[in-house]
Amino acid sequence: MGSFVHLHVASAYSLRYGTAFPPALVARAAAHGMDALALTDRDGLYGVIKHIRACHAEGLAPIAGVDLVLGPRERSRGKGSHGGGSQGDGSPGKDEWRIVVLARADGWGHLCRLVTAAHHVGERGEPYVTREMVAEHARGPSGDARLTVLLGPRSDVGHAAAGQRDDEARTLLAAWRAAVPDVVVEVTDHYGYRDANTAARMIGLADSAGVPAVLTNAVRHLDTTDHQVGNVLDAARRLAPLHVRHLEPSTQAYLKSGEEMGPVAARVCGGDRNRMVRLLAETRHVAERCALDPVEIVPLLSDPPGALHLPEIGGDPVPMLRNRCDDGLRRRGMERSKEARDRLAAELDIIERKRLSGYFVAVAGITDMIRDMGVRCAIRGSGAGSLVTYLTGIGEVNPLEHGLLMERFLSEGRHGLPDIDVDVESARRLDCYRAILGRYGEARVACVSMMETYRARSAIREVGAAMGLPPHEVDAVAKAFPHIRAKQIRAALTDLPELRDSGLNDRSLETVFRLAEKLDGLPRHIALHPCGVLVGNATLRDRTPVERSLLDFPMSQFDKDDVEEAGLLKLDVLGVRMQSAMAHALGEIERVDDLRIELDGVPRDDTDTYDMICSGRTIGCFQIESPGQRELVAKLEPRTMHDLIVDISLFRPGPVNSDMVTPYLEARHGFRRPSYAHEELREPLRETHGVVVFHEQVLKVIDVMTGCGLSEAEKARRALDTPQGREAVRDWFVPLAGERGFDPATVEKAWKILDAFGAFGFCKAHAAAFALPTYQSAWLKRHHAAAFFAGVLTHEPGMYPSRVILDEARRCGVDILALDVNHSGRDWRIEKTGEPLALRVRPGDLEPGGGPATEPDGERDPEIGRGYGLRVPFSAVRGVSEAEVARMVAGQPYTSMADFWERARPSRPVAERIVEVGGLDAMYGLRPGGPRWRPGSLTRRDLIAQVGALDRSSSAGVAARRDATAVQLPMGFTEQVIPGELPEMTEAEVVEAELAVLGMDVSRHVIGFHEELLDAIGVVRSRDLLRQRNGAEILVAGVKVATQTPAVRSGQRVIFLTLDDSTGPIDLTFFESVQAHTAATVFGSWLLVARGVVRRTGARAVSLRALHCWNLVDLDELWRAPEPHGGIAAVRARLDERPGSGGGVGGRRIEYDNGYRLSPYSDIGPTPGVRDAAAFLAHPTEPQRRLWHASSGSSGPTRTRRR
Amino acid sequence: MGGRSVLSRLYGDPIEVWIRDDRPAQFVWRDRLYAIRQVQDHWVVAREWWKTSDTDPGERRFWRVEAGATTGVGTYELRFDTASGGWLLLRAWD
Repeated sequence: MGSFVHLHVASAYSLRYGTAFPPALVARAAAHGMDALALTDRDGLYGVIKHIRACHAEGLAPIAGVDLVLGPRERSRGKGSHGGGSQGDGSPGKDEWRIVVLARADGWGHLCRLVTAAHHVGERGEPYVTREMVAEHARGPSGDARLTVLLGPRSDVGHAAAGQRDDEARTLLAAWRAAVPDVVVEVTDHYGYRDANTAARMIGLADSAGVPAVLTNAVRHLDTTDHQVGNVLDAARRLAPLHVRHLEPSTQAYLKSGEEMGPVAARVCGGDRNRMVRLLAETRHVAERCALDPVEIVPLLSDPPGALHLPEIGGDPVPMLRNRCDDGLRRRGMERSKEARDRLAAELDIIERKRLSGYFVAVAGITDMIRDMGVRCAIRGSGAGSLVTYLTGIGEVNPLEHGLLMERFLSEGRHGLPDIDVDVESARRLDCYRAILGRYGEARVACVSMMETYRARSAIREVGAAMGLPPHEVDAVAKAFPHIRAKQIRAALTDLPELRDSGLNDRSLETVFRLAEKLDGLPRHIALHPCGVLVGNATLRDRTPVERSLLDFPMSQFDKDDVEEAGLLKLDVLGVRMQSAMAHALGEIERVDDLRIELDGVPRDDTDTYDMICSGRTIGCFQIESPGQRELVAKLEPRTMHDLIVDISLFRPGPVNSDMVTPYLEARHGFRRPSYAHEELREPLRETHGVVVFHEQVLKVIDVMTGCGLSEAEKARRALDTPQGREAVRDWFVPLAGERGFDPATVEKAWKILDAFGAFGFCKAHAAAFALPTYQSAWLKRHHAAAFFAGVLTHEPGMYPSRVILDEARRCGVDILALDVNHSGRDWRIEKTGEPLALRVRPGDLEPGGGPATEPDGERDPEIGRGYGLRVPFSAVRGVSEAEVARMVAGQPYTSMADFWERARPSRPVAERIVEVGGLDAMYGLRPGGPRWRPGSLTRRDLIAQVGALDRSSSAGVAARRDATAVQLPMGFTEQVIPGELPEMTEAEVVEAELAVLGMDVSRHVIGFHEELLDAIGVVRSRDLLRQRNGAEILVAGVKVATQTPAVRSGQRVIFLTLDDSTGPIDLTFFESVQAHTAATVFGSWLLVARGVVRRTGARAVSLRALHCWNLVDLDELWRAPEPHGGIAAVRARLDERPGSGGGVGGRRIEYDNGYRLSPYSDIGPTPGVRDAAAFLAHPTEPQRRLWHASSGSSGPTRTRRR
Repeated sequence: MGGRSVLSRLYGDPIEVWIRDDRPAQFVWRDRLYAIRQVQDHWVVAREWWKTSDTDPGERRFWRVEAGATTGVGTYELRFDTASGGWLLLRAWD
């Protein structure tokens, strides 16, 4: 007899239940000498692929199953029908009625379909099975058993046995046996009160019915000490406070060894030795008949991979793909190019050998379909490196033009499946999904899922609730933390200056934080992956369980890695807001200027566009708008697409940290001669002046030095990611290069390059794919500024809040037009405000030959947007609903306030807000500002009063008739508002209202109200920064635009702050040495004054090294206070204070092998522009209310103090 | 199951217990020696660790046993606290 096998094991993928990850469980089982292990997570197969891979690696036989809730009928059947029952603890909750179903050796497909059915029948997130459903899936075509059902203590049978209702238990067991061919009784003993007795009863029941009984440990944990985490999860799952009554004792529910299971077996058998042996043997039998073949389920475990599951495309895919490519050669005018023909032949050869032709045909069909829907669509990622994707029209990047290699995407030696990614307009992404589903059908298509895990904030929320803290307090505590790992909570409290002084560090929260740290990294929620779509064939649902996503899309329970391992092909369809923004801009240009622009066909060498980029005027543009990128483009001065590709590749944590930027810039501008380790390396490295920037160059260097071919080189490059891998590659590389005749010094130099940059380079194909929309967005900004900003404001693609974009538009000469009930639309629209200047039509005329009033040097703003206005839309009003917006637009034009109220039917607060920000100014000729009291003439406040009157009259009985015909009856009365009865709003009040209602200052820049104070203390304006000498110490001020804490080379946590003072942006850098006295102010204020040292970083680039900063609102208050405590002298004194040297940012630097260090609090999230799609999905239409961008960083010390 | 319906008396007296084969074999309570004849039930309850600052406050192991002394046979509930290492006699049905 072999070892004991655990047949009932929950991993962390049993949400809010399990605590260990599959590989750890498998490793422990292997250490116990076990030869098989099951994974039976609750409600799904989320962890099974990882389990099978881990088993395969450790040499264990994998067993897969699921732990499912029983249906309402099964639950009611067992409950209380015989009286008595389980006294004391009341009737068990729904969660307590469960069975385990295992796949037998040939039952994987049946298990998948059962799980899918369980999710289909229940509410979303609450799957269940009935006995009939299990019966329906339990047999193969010839009636053979495909599933094994374990009836344990939580089954209906188990509950009856625990309640000492033996007859009922027997009847239920018989019913299960009649329905399902392979049923066993499962006994478990966690040393809980009466566990052993129930188990003994169930063994007796099994024996009397002649059903096999098996022993499990219903495992939840790896070690017994994990039960504390289990308790927290129990409380979270049951939404109950941490109290014994709500907890499931689980100190014994860990992965016990065979030796530890011996005494358990003895207990449940009451010491009957023979019965014990039989129990263990029957357990073993079940394990043996449920052992799965890992490669059948996870084809990528074998090399070459086992069967892939490609879409059916109605024909032999090989000639279909060949034909499409030949057509493409002609269409792209490449049929005479030998280079293209050779490359195509090589690519098709690999594709056909990997049997992937069908995938390319299917993807090309999908991208055709998306474009036919009128949705903008661009290829991204390594797929752009393939000529086949270019020829079939999947992408618009010609790999030959940019020297892109296919091997980076698809090669002989590449493990795994190729992955084609396309970007579509974010606003149309779900339409694209629906179209794909429509074409292939739900049986063949599913979205990919992803597991969200606990991080600091979510863990604190969960534990806070379990500990019974008031929700608003929990919320305030959670929000005080930056987006860090849960593990770092307590370290962050002492390391980060803004938290150190926050009052959170007291004893009362200690337990919350300690427990929250324990949740670190556990899965907590399954969500739709932002882009992955599985395109399979009719057998898809035998391969993956499918549940419904929040938006009711079919969603695989596997994540993107698992999907690939399972041999399922996916297409990434990512919603990109910039594509939507550009689509909106093109629509506005066509609507207003009657000009149709084919954006993909725009020449890619426009001087004006590059001039604008070089001057750093890139706010709003894709990929190059962040403060760091504005600095980099100003230094790099891109002039071609290739330059943009390099720029995008350089602006990554890796290159920035390993200081690849400086040597590149020096060589580019001719300050330094490029050096090459060997003459033969000149060719691959010439395009970047001897610096390795791209993955493609790494491949070429390896190939040149070893002659191994590009496919092999790609394999080696992938190995460079880890220290062990680098070691292995070195051992292979050095002798091989020596054999090729390179001298040891050269080999060493070449190796150093690979060692240092190998893992950091950027995939050039990816950068090339990004460079196209980058250029296109810049081109639109340069030539159709107003329309471009309308797109950016509507779809918010970038890192900046709307008010910054609006400010940039203003600087470009675009008029900002207030909300107007008769002119505003649903989204941002443009209007002609002056005679369209000649230079609009031919932008090339603008610079050299004296176009009016434009200087390209950035000293004065070239007014590239003149002649157009941006109209604030209805959707920008806080709290307005989609339906209200639709009615407001449909009812235009309006003749009066009452007319608007009657026909657009806004809610009262929305109507008031619209008046407050001037939505009816034009109709009534209102002009706020100037004298407040104006007897006889109408004011905004009068109109607000009228809204109240209208509301009262409509609620007084007329409400019922409002929806019917527009009866004007009471309006005659309510329109009798005495003009001038109430005072008009001041300019300050107007801006205040705009910020509150629209989230942006429309009529004038908010900093304008502080001009007097700023002049008095001698603040330098952004437009004058270039005139400051290097090293000068100056004061600046502005509205906070963005804070970022990216990874930087020194390993410090550095805060980058961007202010905006209406003349332009100001970039400040706060090093750790000043954060003790500044961090709280930086994160906690909106209007700031800062002192800093000027640092010139390029011809047109200036940034400040910050020394100190103040909240402008506080200074303003001080200034207005009476002397001697207030006044200008007091403000000056405050500004002259020199802070003591407080502690900086703590925390151990994360040290990488190549010597670069990282602060544990750096933000290494996604690149700007790739917005978190999950967040977007949650509130697809909710207008943005943030006034500044905070990519990371805490929102500062909370005001909630615990005393 | 033995004796749940019969009234028991609560004690909570510290006792001395001898262990054999990982289970209690005999104990001394109020100066009298009891030999354990049969373990009727054994269960384990974890301590409410979240109420203390200890990272692991341990668990309590309960044994319900049939034991005999010179005066006769009865059922007793013993409790072992892993944190303190002490035994208590909690209840008796005798």
